[in-house]
Amino acid sequence: MTDTEEAQATASTSTTTTTPTEKDAAKICVLLNATGNVPIIKKRTWTVDPNKTVSWIQKFIHKFLKLDANEQIFLYVNQTFAPAPDQIIKNLYECHGTNGKLVLYYCKNQAWG
Amino acid sequence: MAHDREVLRMIWEGQIGICFQADSEEIVGIRPEPFYLMVSRLSYLPLVTDKVRKYFTRYIAAEHQDGAAWFDFNGTPLRLHYPIGVLYDLLHPDEDSTPWSITIHFSKFPEEKLVKLNTKELLESHYLSCLKEADVLKHRGLVISAMQKKDHNQLWLGLINDKFDQFWAVNRRLMEPYSDQESFKNIPIRFYYDDDFTYMQKLITPLSQSGQKKNLADLMAELSTPVRKAVGFRTHGIELHEETQLQWMSEHLSYPDNFLHLSVDYKNE
Repeated sequence: MTDTEEAQATASTSTTTTTPTEKDAAKICVLLNATGNVPIIKKRTWTVDPNKTVSWIQKFIHKFLKLDANEQIFLYVNQTFAPAPDQIIKNLYECHGTNGKLVLYYCKNQAWG
Repeated sequence: MAHDREVLRMIWEGQIGICFQADSEEIVGIRPEPFYLMVSRLSYLPLVTDKVRKYFTRYIAAEHQDGAAWFDFNGTPLRLHYPIGVLYDLLHPDEDSTPWSITIHFSKFPEEKLVKLNTKELLESHYLSCLKEADVLKHRGLVISAMQKKDHNQLWLGLINDKFDQFWAVNRRLMEPYSDQESFKNIPIRFYYDDDFTYMQKLITPLSQSGQKKNLADLMAELSTPVRKAVGFRTHGIELHEETQLQWMSEHLSYPDNFLHLSVDYKNE
C-alpha cells in the first residue's frame, strides 16, 4: 500500500471527486474501517495495486497492528460478505466500489459471517 | 419467469468421472490401484476427500494419513473452493470421455499457492459468502438477509447431500427478481480465461439502457476491446448460443453459489 496524503488532501479540499495523480491512476482507493474489538488504524484511506489479494490486505493489517501470530484478521466488503482470500481487489472494486472507493471492514472475530 | 425445471435438473445431474492417483512419495509398500469416482460438477473437492482418503489410507505412511489433503492435475494445484466443474472445464477443455486423472496428496500443503479451505466447515462459510455476494449483486442483499439460518443450512445440506428438491425449495427465492422487478439488478458472473485460475468480475446488468434484455452477443461486445474480441462462452462443458439471455442464464445456469462461471474465448484482432 502507498501513502495517500496527497489524495487525502485533495479529498478534503474538493469533497467527493478526487482526481488521482498520474502515478496512482491504476491504483484503487481502499477505505479501511475497524469494527468490534480490533485496534483502529488511524489512517483510513490507502491506495492498493488492483491485483493484490484479500489475503495480502489481511497480512498488511496484521503486520500494521503488530498482532500475535495466533490472532486472525477477518475482512468484509460493505459490512455484508467476507471475500475469498485469493480474490483480487480489482474485482471487488468493480462490483462493490462506491464513490471511487472500496470500503472494507476488518475485525478479529467473525462479524457478518 | 417460470422456472425451466428440466434445465435445472440437467445442470444438477452433470457429473465428471475422476481417477484419483496417490502421491508416489507418500506410499509405503505396494502401489495402490487408482480410485475412480463419479463426482457432481457442482460439488467441491473437500466434499469428496473423505471417500478418497478412506481408500488410500492403508497405503499411505502413518504420519501422512491425517494430513490436510490437496489435489493437483499435471502439477497444477487445484483450488479447493472452486466448483469441480469449473476446475475441470478450465484444465480439461477438450471433449474427452476418459476419466480426469488427478493426484491426491496428504502432506506438504502448498499454502503459498492454495487457500486452505480444506474442511467442510471452512467451505460452508466460503459458500455462504459467495451466496451473500451474489445476492448483493442481484437484490442488494435483501433476499438473503431476510432468510433464516435454517434456510442457509438447507441450501448447504441440499448441495452436499445431492438433494435437488431440498436445495431448490430455498434457492428459487434467490433466483427470482425482487418484488415488482422483471430482472436482477446485476448478474453475478465470474469470467475465466484459458487455464488461468484468476477470474474477472465486473458489473453486468441484465438489461440494456433502453430496457431490452441483454443476450450473450451483447455481453461479447461489452467484453471486447479494439484489439481483443470475445468470441465465445462456455459453462458446464456447454458452448453457449449467443442469443441466450443473461437473465435466463443467471436463473438457470448459475452454480449453487449463485454465480455464473463462464470461460471466455478471445480472439486477437
